[in-house]
Amino acid sequence: MAATVAQSQHVLGAGGGLHPLQAQGLLASQHQSKPQQQQHQQPPQQHQNNGEGGNHFELESRKLSLSDFHRVRTLGTGTFARVVLVRPAYGTEAERSQVFALKILRKTEVIKLKQIDHVRHERQLLADVSGHPFITELMASFSDHDFLYLLLDYVPGGELFSYLRKFRRFDEDMARFYAAEIVLVLEYLHEQQGGIAYRDMKPENLLLDADGHIKLVDFGFAKRLGNNDNDHPVETYTLCGTPEYLAPEVIHNKGHTTAVDWWALGILIYEFLTGYPPFWHQNPIEIYKQIVEKPVVFPHDPPISDAAKDIIRQFCTVDRSRRLGNISGGAARVKAHPFFDGVDWDAIVHKRDRGPIVPPVRYPGDAQCFDIYPEEDATRDEYTGEMAQKYDDYFKDF
Amino acid sequence: MSSAGYTSPFGANSNPFGGANPGPMHRLVEEDENDTVTSPTTPSFSATGNVFGGSFGADSTSEGSFLGGLRSPPNPESYPAQYNFARRTSVSAESLKPVADTYDNWTPPSHAKTPEQLERLKNAISGNFLFSHLDDEQSAQILGALVEKPIPTKGIKVITQGDAGDFFYVVEKGSFDVYVNPSGALQPGPNGMGQNVGRIEAGGSFGELALMYNAPRAATVISAEPQCTLWALDRLTFRRILMESTFARRRMYESFLEEVPLLSTLTPYERSKIADALESQKFPAGHAIIREGEKGLSFFLLEAGEAVAYRSGNPTPVKHYKKGDFFGELALLNDAPRAASVVSATEVKVATLGKSAFQRLLGPVEGIMRRTKYVGVKSGVEEMDPLHVP
Repeated sequence: MAATVAQSQHVLGAGGGLHPLQAQGLLASQHQSKPQQQQHQQPPQQHQNNGEGGNHFELESRKLSLSDFHRVRTLGTGTFARVVLVRPAYGTEAERSQVFALKILRKTEVIKLKQIDHVRHERQLLADVSGHPFITELMASFSDHDFLYLLLDYVPGGELFSYLRKFRRFDEDMARFYAAEIVLVLEYLHEQQGGIAYRDMKPENLLLDADGHIKLVDFGFAKRLGNNDNDHPVETYTLCGTPEYLAPEVIHNKGHTTAVDWWALGILIYEFLTGYPPFWHQNPIEIYKQIVEKPVVFPHDPPISDAAKDIIRQFCTVDRSRRLGNISGGAARVKAHPFFDGVDWDAIVHKRDRGPIVPPVRYPGDAQCFDIYPEEDATRDEYTGEMAQKYDDYFKDF
Repeated sequence: MSSAGYTSPFGANSNPFGGANPGPMHRLVEEDENDTVTSPTTPSFSATGNVFGGSFGADSTSEGSFLGGLRSPPNPESYPAQYNFARRTSVSAESLKPVADTYDNWTPPSHAKTPEQLERLKNAISGNFLFSHLDDEQSAQILGALVEKPIPTKGIKVITQGDAGDFFYVVEKGSFDVYVNPSGALQPGPNGMGQNVGRIEAGGSFGELALMYNAPRAATVISAEPQCTLWALDRLTFRRILMESTFARRRMYESFLEEVPLLSTLTPYERSKIADALESQKFPAGHAIIREGEKGLSFFLLEAGEAVAYRSGNPTPVKHYKKGDFFGELALLNDAPRAASVVSATEVKVATLGKSAFQRLLGPVEGIMRRTKYVGVKSGVEEMDPLHVP
């Protein structure tokens, strides 16, 4: 596959605070409030770090380097990134028993694939949204000559994608549970974080923690839309996402907003319930043609409830002025849709019940829920001194 | 197309569960026969019946069938035969920022064409879904940006399977053969192009995916005769033309909306939502855009041209409108009859929004007005209607 498509990476998140030692150790001082937050299952806190100093990651992360970690195994790979399970290499036994997911991005590939902006947004936004119960948590970031690193909490349950393919499809109760958690994430990103569009919703980017709750990972395409002059919301134009999940306005380059995430949620619920997305073809251009021209059609088997069909159709509405989630009421209106009848939103946000799938995690650093990937990168281009001079300034936040 | 021979365009890591490389359908059949699926990483999962409290057998040594008890085995007939169940790769184009944000100077390239050439090009792209939604200005810019590429001899590879793709091509003259090598890329040797799968004649086009993002070419296209002519359009130009025009229009709408007293309490966020939902319409000179006495359903911004308001029985215009002016906004508030007719004095372009769309997006206008007291200082024609005097 030519180096022209930015493959999805997996950013891995927390193990649900299950590890008795996780609250201690190496990095505890860098994120004191976090383990507590996890134990008490606080609803999302609004806190914005705008990179203007005061960001605890930046202050502490200077000290970290790759040699501080022992590499256990790869959890996912992409065109310019790899996520590995790591343990601290030094410290007390308790400290060394901690596990993290380390996302490693190769500078040369980031530059070649013109992903510099996306990588910078990823680091910044992860820092901004850290601490939400359904979003992977950034512990630190650092860099060396060739690579950028994001140290993230380890989410041991693996990808929801793996379970969906294994089960082929979810019944409506399961789909509703995951959809409800995602609605809360989108409400947080869109409405409480000042208009962050996530832009790559799909089962591959949803991990399960040890209790079966969702963690949204990979903020490589996320973007804060309200960041131009005077926080004026501005639509964005860079095409990104996953072919089957792209909203029509992205395909047509009409400028897109957070409404693309609601479109993608419709596609996601469809895929949960049927096992495949509503628009698919071997040739991506045919997928795009269907997305802009064809209505969502449901199969006879499995039978899908009217409420589920309705919410999918309302999300997958080409006209954004009619799309559920984007229309007045925002996420509150989504929560009130009949598909979510009976959902206790307070219980969802506080993770009061375990998820419908409880991953077979045997111990905190267990990676059996992840597929096996080759540990070695193919030969890559060198990051030359000349490139470093030209580009390192862009990466100075790491 | 047989699933076994199909190489996923989405690539890497295709099969999370199967070992080697059976096609998707093959894998499904296998699963149905064995009712057990194993993953290299996960020797066995087993789920029990309870959907919300279900648990997996966590012991890697235990045998387990994950389908057991969860539900009856799905009917393989109900699955799309060719769907590739692999992980899907994200795609991304170059980051694009409007000129206004970057302070670059960018104007779309324009290459001269005869009226006949323009007409042929227009026809060639009119049916394509990537072009069919463009407005006249955008179309004109896109057509102007197409650049001529003479292909003098037979056997010239215009695009090569597996290579990066940056251009879309329209065939003006001659014909081109399309070859696909099942390996996904051109190979060395006499049959390296693979199979001939088709021919593109004058009026046809190819390479449209390159207008979206840089993906490997899915086929090799080679000239089938001498003296061919192509017109080429690169992705950055295409996307920038669309972006700049959309961006400029959106900002213009927002600034117009700021001037509407009825909407003065909208937040920038709400204004941008409204700007996003406005629809452009064109009318010839002398067209009655709204008619006195008719129920008002929509609100209008005058984007280009001029218009005048008349009241019945009075041949003298009671109001003149120019670019940036607005009328009919009280329709957002109620269904009362229009207080005057507004007629285009020149060809006009208006941006319009219906009351229903407004309410869908932001809720009732009354609620928005209640934020601060609406003082009807400057308004459209309705201010003249006794029913609507604030």
